[in-house]
Amino acid sequence: MAVTGAFHDAGYGFDVFGLSPPIVRRAAALGAPLYERYFRVDSRGAEHIPLEGPAIIVANHGGVLPVDAAMLCLDVLRNTPRIPRAIADHFVPRLPLVSALFARLGVVSGTAANVRRLLEDGELVAIWPEGVAGPAKRFGLRYELQRWRVGFAEHAIRHRVPIIPAAIVGAEESWPLALRLPLRVFGSPYLPVPMSPLPLPARYFIRYGPPIVGEPTQVYRDAEDPSAVAALAERARLAVAHLMSQTLAERHGVFR
Amino acid sequence: MKVMVTGASTPLGLAIVEHLLALPDVSFVLAVGKDRRPVGLVDTGRLRYLAVDLSHARVAHDLVWGDARLHLINTVIHAAQHRGAHDTGRGVHLQNVESTRALLAACEDHPSIRRFLLRSFAEVYATPHTTTQLLVEDDPLELSPGAPQWVRDRVEADFTACAHVGGTLKVAVLRLAELVAPDSGSQLWDYLGSRVCLRPLGYDPMINVLSLEDAAEAFRAAAQSTAIGPFNIPGADTLPLTRAIEESQRFSIPVPGPLMSPMYRLRRRVAGFDFRYDMNFARFHFGGVLDGTRAREQLGYAPRHPVHWPHPWWRELLDRLAADRATVDGARH
Repeated sequence: MAVTGAFHDAGYGFDVFGLSPPIVRRAAALGAPLYERYFRVDSRGAEHIPLEGPAIIVANHGGVLPVDAAMLCLDVLRNTPRIPRAIADHFVPRLPLVSALFARLGVVSGTAANVRRLLEDGELVAIWPEGVAGPAKRFGLRYELQRWRVGFAEHAIRHRVPIIPAAIVGAEESWPLALRLPLRVFGSPYLPVPMSPLPLPARYFIRYGPPIVGEPTQVYRDAEDPSAVAALAERARLAVAHLMSQTLAERHGVFR
Repeated sequence: MKVMVTGASTPLGLAIVEHLLALPDVSFVLAVGKDRRPVGLVDTGRLRYLAVDLSHARVAHDLVWGDARLHLINTVIHAAQHRGAHDTGRGVHLQNVESTRALLAACEDHPSIRRFLLRSFAEVYATPHTTTQLLVEDDPLELSPGAPQWVRDRVEADFTACAHVGGTLKVAVLRLAELVAPDSGSQLWDYLGSRVCLRPLGYDPMINVLSLEDAAEAFRAAAQSTAIGPFNIPGADTLPLTRAIEESQRFSIPVPGPLMSPMYRLRRRVAGFDFRYDMNFARFHFGGVLDGTRAREQLGYAPRHPVHWPHPWWRELLDRLAADRATVDGARH
């Protein structure tokens, strides 16, 4: 597994966000049994991910903790020579231990400046536009896309980068949410209580769709146009929803 | 170009003066310091040193309209700030803020001064969880009333200079990453000067530090440009805090966050260090690296010189002996 994609060493083996490729390699090796044996990830369409240059993967989000994000990142690492830069919610860098570990693995806080820098550096950015609303939804709403943020579309127009839609199926049943406790620990919006102490071995299906690009006539300034941004975000949302329903229809069972 | 440099008796001021004197298009440098003349700064046809206390508005005005006018100064680099993080009070405020205000007011309608550069700090940024990792010039500044005077003064001076942007005077505010150098008021230098460095358990933020050489180069680039507004000036070293401790050959001990402040207060009482954990809390938890895109694009500044980490005395001694031996060997050959 080559994980040496567009790494911009800031001088000490880390990039400005704290990414360390050797730690990513180690984490990928440690996560391999989870990926191969526990969740038995079935991945298709990774050829749609560009092998170089900036790109944005957008995916649905579900499950108590971001296990789906971890599986998607592992999948990208295994199927491409790139290190995906997962964009996390603003509270993540406040979490002790998690903040340091995530930074070494390439996770970046979701500020406009951070995403802009990553795309300018030619990185592959992975965004979950539902944000916290995805994992926070009731089990009955599984695989229903929640409020879809549009910031990624603005970046895609501004930097003229392709959007690769991705669907993750299996995460919602693997670790459903039982309760949201109104405790704002370290800035998190709530304290999740899962239905099971550990994720269940539901099978994961990851599907990538063909890249979505903005209109050929779009220019840098169109990123300021709310209707153009909303239209591109909606195209990406529909693509993810389509991939998701297709995968759900193909699936023979939650654990098979 | 004729330049007036305030804070010339500090390591940064000295570095700027030396850097400017090395440029052929700088015909004169008026070096202004609060203290008596630093060793090695000798008046020549291209350099004059003045000991002036800028905390008095009248003195600042007279400097600008007296000596600066006499020497036809066209660029002012204001790099004089109080360095001690624990010092508070009106005198400190006068030096940090009122001197900036007085200098700016005096330079506005000056017959020869067209450029004003203020040395500002990365610490002016509020680094809550929403603005971590990469700090751009538009990010919020630290305006919380609980912030230490050291920070509040710097934010006010920064604002004061930014309020003059767009006038006849071309004002640029250089927000420098932390200078890691002795006697420069560096909190990190002081922190790394201890044999044992405590750090908050569970956090290892990315930090960016600046060398004196790059800081002087940034002022040179800004002086030769006409770009206005605030500019982030990052350094060449971006690394995790633990790695900075390692580079300085210190022991690192993770301590639960709430214990850090009392332990460093105790250390200050016992050993007299200047490091304040409350002032560095956000940085030691969430990090914050300056994004230097604007400075690169508009000033042509790119950091090149890595910092010299504060090593233990025995290591400094060995390094010096090795350097001396290399010089002797070089002379022999």
